[in-house]
Amino acid sequence: MKYFVFIVITYLSLSTFSFPQEVIHNQVNLECNTCHTCEVPTKNDPCLIECPRPKMQKEFPSSETGPDIFIMDELENRYLPVVFTHKLHAQMSDMTGGCLACHHYNTLGPILRCNQCHSEKRKRTDISKPDLMAAYHQQCLDCHRQWSHKNDCTSCHAEKKGNESFDRSEISSELTQKTHPEVKKPVKIIYQTDCKEGKLVTFFHDQHINIFGLDCISCHKNENCISCHDPAKVKNGKQHNFDKPIMVNISETERHQRCFGCHENDKCSLCHKNSEMKPFDHSLRTGWALNKNHLKLECTACHTKDKGFTKLENECVSCHRNWNSETFDHKVTGLMLDEIHIEFDCSDCHLDRDFSRRPSCGNCHDDKNFPNNKPGKLVN
Amino acid sequence: MGFQNRRDFFKTSLLLTAGITGISSKKNKAASLDGPSENRMGVLVDTTVCIGCRSCEWACKTTHGLPTKPIDSYLDRSVYDKKRRPDEHALTVVNEYDNPNNPLLPTDVKVQCMHCEEPACVSACIVGAFTKHPEGAVTWDTDKCIGCRYCMVACPFQVPSFEYSKAVQPKIMKCDFCFERTKEGKLPACVEVCPTEALTYGNRNELIEIAKQRIKRQPDKYYNHILGEAEIGGTSWLYLAGQDFGKLDFPKLGRDPAPGVTEAIQHGIFSYFIPPIALFALLGSVMWINRSKNNGEEK
Repeated sequence: MKYFVFIVITYLSLSTFSFPQEVIHNQVNLECNTCHTCEVPTKNDPCLIECPRPKMQKEFPSSETGPDIFIMDELENRYLPVVFTHKLHAQMSDMTGGCLACHHYNTLGPILRCNQCHSEKRKRTDISKPDLMAAYHQQCLDCHRQWSHKNDCTSCHAEKKGNESFDRSEISSELTQKTHPEVKKPVKIIYQTDCKEGKLVTFFHDQHINIFGLDCISCHKNENCISCHDPAKVKNGKQHNFDKPIMVNISETERHQRCFGCHENDKCSLCHKNSEMKPFDHSLRTGWALNKNHLKLECTACHTKDKGFTKLENECVSCHRNWNSETFDHKVTGLMLDEIHIEFDCSDCHLDRDFSRRPSCGNCHDDKNFPNNKPGKLVN
Repeated sequence: MGFQNRRDFFKTSLLLTAGITGISSKKNKAASLDGPSENRMGVLVDTTVCIGCRSCEWACKTTHGLPTKPIDSYLDRSVYDKKRRPDEHALTVVNEYDNPNNPLLPTDVKVQCMHCEEPACVSACIVGAFTKHPEGAVTWDTDKCIGCRYCMVACPFQVPSFEYSKAVQPKIMKCDFCFERTKEGKLPACVEVCPTEALTYGNRNELIEIAKQRIKRQPDKYYNHILGEAEIGGTSWLYLAGQDFGKLDFPKLGRDPAPGVTEAIQHGIFSYFIPPIALFALLGSVMWINRSKNNGEEK
């Protein structure tokens, strides 16, 4: 009997252990070769890339909750330990591939220390992964080399002089608290193009964020530090001036790719004009002025995502499907009807049920008109 | 010394030479059929990872006792303004090339002896001063060298250089794959010092697998070719790059080993000593005809 219970318990514990892994495996949206080295991984030979993953984890913490700094002191020999400003780099990584840019092959695991995969020794048996020093240098220099244009060691390393020791308590708060300054967002960018029908494309950066609800990473997925921090540009005083039209040095396909995510089916003339465009205005573009309640809404509240930003019916009931003369509370329009008028049908005042036109009092009154006379009182 | 003895001497020497040539040509053929041994070592140079710090140049000079400036002077990037070649003062050099994929990340390429699997220098050396070691290294022996510089002409990568400036005992200079260091179990000096491990030292077969994996995992980053895997019969040093190797000043080479042609001719001429015997037989017969003619005239 005891033996039987033991088998049952073992079986149960084993099945609960393997179950969640398989569920997650089905859910993840990853390239197979992120984790597997061979084309067809099997149960007997999963050919996993060697990285310990004792626990599955789907999301990385935000840059704010991660550590502020990280001290790299494993290779303390010629140089003092490197104080890596983790928070600062994590903030920058938000626009350049996120945590995965450095915590690679760690997609579904808890965050591992680099030295769990990268050996501290140059001479070792497994040479498929770089050693720890090389791993650090490859990660850091890929960007640092691009924006400093040199390979100086001392921008990260303080050289060791004699028997100097490293005191963690002496790390200045300037370093531990270092954060990336808020990225200045342009209101608009005017692009000079060689399109004959319309040379200028005005891109309203602020409206795409504030009105159309795009996040930074919707467009800036693979931004490089040097797209902002190119010292050559800063030196020559060539900071972006967004008041004048700018030329962009990328291919036509690449230029359009950025907008085509949403504007694929739009006409060229929507963006290409011969003069600078005015900001998006709902009443000018569509003839439907947004006021009061509608102004407060997200675009997607009316323009549902599956249909895109297409023209909608002007009828109230095309969106407010449950509105009729009995259920409609006239107070939402800002005018609370008095006891007499509340009894009438909509079409008694709104002739032909056209709510965009001024209501008429002529059906009952000869001497009254709206808005001089009101069938109730105004409310906010 | 009588006439009979002289004839005997020729006979024996002829037989001996024929025997030796026959054996040695068999040996040469066997060596090229076997290919590189399983435990042959190599270095994989990943030029996409190299940052052009030139620490390898410094480490190489320091290890080989060549005069060098302090390491800090190597930060000067103006040396990249012109392309350099390894010479008697520097057994390895790094050159920099434009990177069409990203102008801000130039391609840096370390140049040194490739340590061919079937080295032309070993084949060309008439005194056997060059040796291809089973571990991969091609080394040069100062005691045997007579300074003919055939190796310099034979090398498809134009690597060996000669100490022209020295009047007494000038040496042939080239990378020796840190033969002394690796014998002691140490890494080659350049591999040990490289900060980004653009140089990986290991079993040549394993390195080829690693290189293939890197290309497979990042096909956008790498140009789909491992230089040295097949070129001129393979080299111990292998290269990965993000662009066409032709643009990085690598010579365009076929798959046949460089010594193949020269050895085929040489060994063809002397194979089993038949062509020389045939030549001498021809000359002998001409002589014999002439002599009989002369004899006839005399009569």
